Amino acid sequence: MDLWQLLLTVALAGSSDAFSGSEDSSGKPKFTKCRSPELETFSCHWTDGVHHGLKSPGSVQLFYIRRNTQEWTQEWKECPDYVSAGENSCYFNSSYTSIWIPYCIKLTNNGGMVDQKCFSVEEIVQPDPPIGLNWTLLNVSLTGIHADIQVRWEPPPNADVQKGWIVLEYELQYKEVNETQWKMMDPVLSTSVPVYSLRLDKEYEVRVRSRQRSSEKYGEFSEVLYVTLPQMSPFTCEEDFRFPWFLIIIFGIFGLTVMLFVFIFSKQQRIKMLILPPVPVPKIKGIDPDLLKEGKLEEVNTILAIQDSYKPEFYNDDSWVEFIELDIDDPDEKTEGSDTDRLLSNSHQKSLSVLAAKDDDSGRTSCYEPDILENDFNASDGCDGNSEVAQPQRLKGEADLLCLDQKNQNNSPYHDVSPAAQQPEVVLAEEDKPRPLLTGEIESTLQAAPSQLSNPNSLANIDFYAQVSDITPAGSVVLSPGQKNKAGNSQCDAHPEVVSLCQTNFIMDNAYFCEADAKKCIAVAPHVDVESRVEPSFNQEDIYITTESLTTTAERSGTAEDAPGSEMPVPDYTSIHLVQSPQGLVLNAATLPLPDKEFLSSCGYVSTDQLNKILP
Amino acid sequence: MDSKWSRRTGSLLLLLVSNLLLCKSTASLPICPSGAVNCQVSLRDLFDRAVILSHHIHKLSSEMFNEFDKRYTQGRGFITKAINSCHTSSLSTPEDKEQAQQIHHEDLLNMVLRVLPSWNDPLYHLVTEVRGMQEAPDAILSKAIEIEEQNRRLLEGMEKIVGQVHPGIKENEIYSVWSGLPSLQMADEDARLFAFYNLLHCLRRDSHKIDNYLKLLKCRIIYDSNC
Repeated sequence: MDLWQLLLTVALAGSSDAFSGSEDSSGKPKFTKCRSPELETFSCHWTDGVHHGLKSPGSVQLFYIRRNTQEWTQEWKECPDYVSAGENSCYFNSSYTSIWIPYCIKLTNNGGMVDQKCFSVEEIVQPDPPIGLNWTLLNVSLTGIHADIQVRWEPPPNADVQKGWIVLEYELQYKEVNETQWKMMDPVLSTSVPVYSLRLDKEYEVRVRSRQRSSEKYGEFSEVLYVTLPQMSPFTCEEDFRFPWFLIIIFGIFGLTVMLFVFIFSKQQRIKMLILPPVPVPKIKGIDPDLLKEGKLEEVNTILAIQDSYKPEFYNDDSWVEFIELDIDDPDEKTEGSDTDRLLSNSHQKSLSVLAAKDDDSGRTSCYEPDILENDFNASDGCDGNSEVAQPQRLKGEADLLCLDQKNQNNSPYHDVSPAAQQPEVVLAEEDKPRPLLTGEIESTLQAAPSQLSNPNSLANIDFYAQVSDITPAGSVVLSPGQKNKAGNSQCDAHPEVVSLCQTNFIMDNAYFCEADAKKCIAVAPHVDVESRVEPSFNQEDIYITTESLTTTAERSGTAEDAPGSEMPVPDYTSIHLVQSPQGLVLNAATLPLPDKEFLSSCGYVSTDQLNKILP
Repeated sequence: MDSKWSRRTGSLLLLLVSNLLLCKSTASLPICPSGAVNCQVSLRDLFDRAVILSHHIHKLSSEMFNEFDKRYTQGRGFITKAINSCHTSSLSTPEDKEQAQQIHHEDLLNMVLRVLPSWNDPLYHLVTEVRGMQEAPDAILSKAIEIEEQNRRLLEGMEKIVGQVHPGIKENEIYSVWSGLPSLQMADEDARLFAFYNLLHCLRRDSHKIDNYLKLLKCRIIYDSNC
C-alpha cells in the first residue's frame, strides 16, 4: 500500500510538473489558419492556450476590423459566430464577408491582445474537397496486363462554380494500395480525368483535391476512391517481358570469339589482310636509306625536291601561293650561292644520277620516265597533266623554262605547243576556273617564246620572287607562268619578233588571249634571240616581281608597244604587292597604259580590265 | 490571336456602326442586338480571350508580388502596417457575390472599363521605377512589362465587348487617378519599399477582382449562368 501510494504521488507530481511546464511555455493562443472555402464566407481558427483549470475558459475573444472605402471602421467588432466553425474559431458568414477588402483580426485574452493578423479574403481561399468520386473502365490493353480508367468527381458543393464566381482546378493522385508514394497528375480544370496504364492485377487508391485557379494553396483531399480492376484473363503473360540480356551477351561473346579464331588461324591471307591489315612500315618513296645513313643530305634534298609527291605542293594556283625568295646581293654570289643555281645547275647532274637510284615503291614510276616532260606551263598536278600535255613537249630531261640550260634544245618542243594550247583546260586541272584560257594563252605565249635563258647568271642576278610551279625530273625549276613569261620574254630568247608578228592580231587591251590568236604566234617559227631585255628591271632590287612589273618592264624593253599586249603576262596575281625598291613597279593590270582599242577579240573574251575601262 | 483581334475589329466596327445607326435608345438591349449568329459566336471568343488575359494578368501579379515580398520585404510585417487603400477603392465595385449578381451586366462591364484604365498610369510608372531600382530584378521587371502590355490589350478587348454587348453606351471616362508616383520615388528606402509593396498588393487585388468579374460575366452572358 505504501508503495502504491508513493508511486501514485510521484506520478501525479510528475504529471503536474509536466503540465505546469507546458503551461508556462505556451499559454498564449495564436491564430492557426484563416480560410475561405468558396470566396463567400471565411473562418479563422486559433490554438487555445493550455487552459489551466483555474482560469475561466472563453476569455479568448476575437475582434475584427475592416476597411471601408477609404478608411478603417473606427472600432473593432467582435466575432459574430464562435460556434459554427468549431471550437476556437470564428465564422464570418456572407453578410460579414467582403472580398477585396482588407481585414484585420486580433485575438485577446482577458482584454490583452495576444495575436493579430491582416489579410484579404481572396488571399485565403482553400476550397473544400471534391465529392462524388467514381471511375469507369476505358479500355484494356491487348496484352491484358494494363487498363485505362476515367475518374470523375463533382466540385465541392459550396463552391459556386456554375455561376463562375469561383473557378477551381483539381489535382488527382493515385497509388497502388500497398505503396507509400502517391503519384501526382497535372492540375486540370475539368472534373474528370483519365488515368492510364493501371495494372489489372493490382488495386489502386485515388484521391482528388482542389484549389482556386491562380492560387497556390490546395484544399483538403477528397475521400479515397478504391479502384479494383477486373482480373486478368488466365491466358495472358504472367511476367513482363524481360529482355534476355544475359543470353544475348553470352551468344555475342561466343560468336565474336569464333569469328576471331577463324580469322586468325585461317589460311586465307586475303581475308586476314582485310581484317587485320599489316601495319605498313614508314618509308619515304624513292629515298635510299643508305643515303641517309651516309649523310648525303644534298642528294636526299634533291630527291625530295623532285618527288612527285611534292609537285602539288610546289604549284598551287590557289590564293595562297608560296614564293621562293632569292636573296641575291652580289652578282658573283648569286651565281654560286643562289638556291636557283643549286637547284638548277649544280644538282642538275646529281639529280639525274640520283634519279637512277632506287625508287621502289613509288606509285608513280611513270613520272620518272626521262622522256616525259613535265608540264612546265601549268599547274597540272602530278602526272595527270603531264601525261596529257607532255607528249608533245618532250624535253629530254633538260626542260628548263628558265632557260638556264644553255643547250637550246627547247626550240623544237615548243613548236608542238599548239596541241597543248588546244587543251588549256585539260592541262590546267588545278587552275582557277575563270581562267582556263588564260593559262592556255600563257602557255602559248611562253611556248612561242622558248624560254631559254642564255645566261644563267642574268637570271641569277635577278632579285625576284618566283613561284616555283614545278621541278622537272632533270632538276630544273619550273616557275609559274607569270614569272616564266617575264623570264621568257626577257631572259630567254622569248622571241619578241615572233610576238610582234602576232601583234596586229592581238587586241592590246586584252589580258586574255584567244587560242586562235595564240596559235598565230606559235605558228611562226620562233627564233629566239637573246636581246637585251629588261635587264635594268631585273637588276632592280625588287623583292617581288609581279606580272604587272613584268609587263611594264616588258614594255620598256623597247619592243613595240603592241608587244606588251601579247607579251603581257596574264596576271596571276592581281593584287598589289609590296615593292621595296624605288624602281619597282607594281601595277594593277587595269592601270597599264594600254592603248584604247576595241575590246572585242576574235574569240569574244573580254578581260576584266577592258570591262572596267568600257564601263564608267 | 492577334489576327483574330484584327478580324474581329472589322466585323465589330461594322456592327457598331450599324447598331449606332439603328438603335437609338439606351435601354437595356439584348446581348446581340443584330441577333446574328455571328455576333453570338464572336462574343464568346471575345470573352474567352478576355478571361484568358485577365487570368494571365492576375497570375503574373501574384507572382510579382510574391517575388517582391520575398526579396525585399519578407518578415518586415508590412502587411500588418495598415494596408493602405488602393487608388481604385474609390470606384464603387461590388464586393461580394450577392452584390455582383444583383448588378446588371452592363454596369459591371462599365466598372471593369473604369478599373482597367486606372491602372495604365501606375503600371507605366511601375515599370520605370522598377527599372531604376538598384539591382533591378529581372523577374519582377519582365513581369511588370508584360502586365502593362496585357492590361492594354485587355482594355481594348473589353471595349470591343462592350461595343458588342451594349453598343449605345456613352464613353464614360471615369477612372481613378493615381497619385502615388512621388511615394515611389522617395529617398527613404523603407518608405519607398513600402510604396512598392502597396502598389503591388493593390495590383494583385485588382487583377483578381477584374478576373472574377469577367468570369462571372462570361458565365452569365455566354453560358447563361451554367458554366
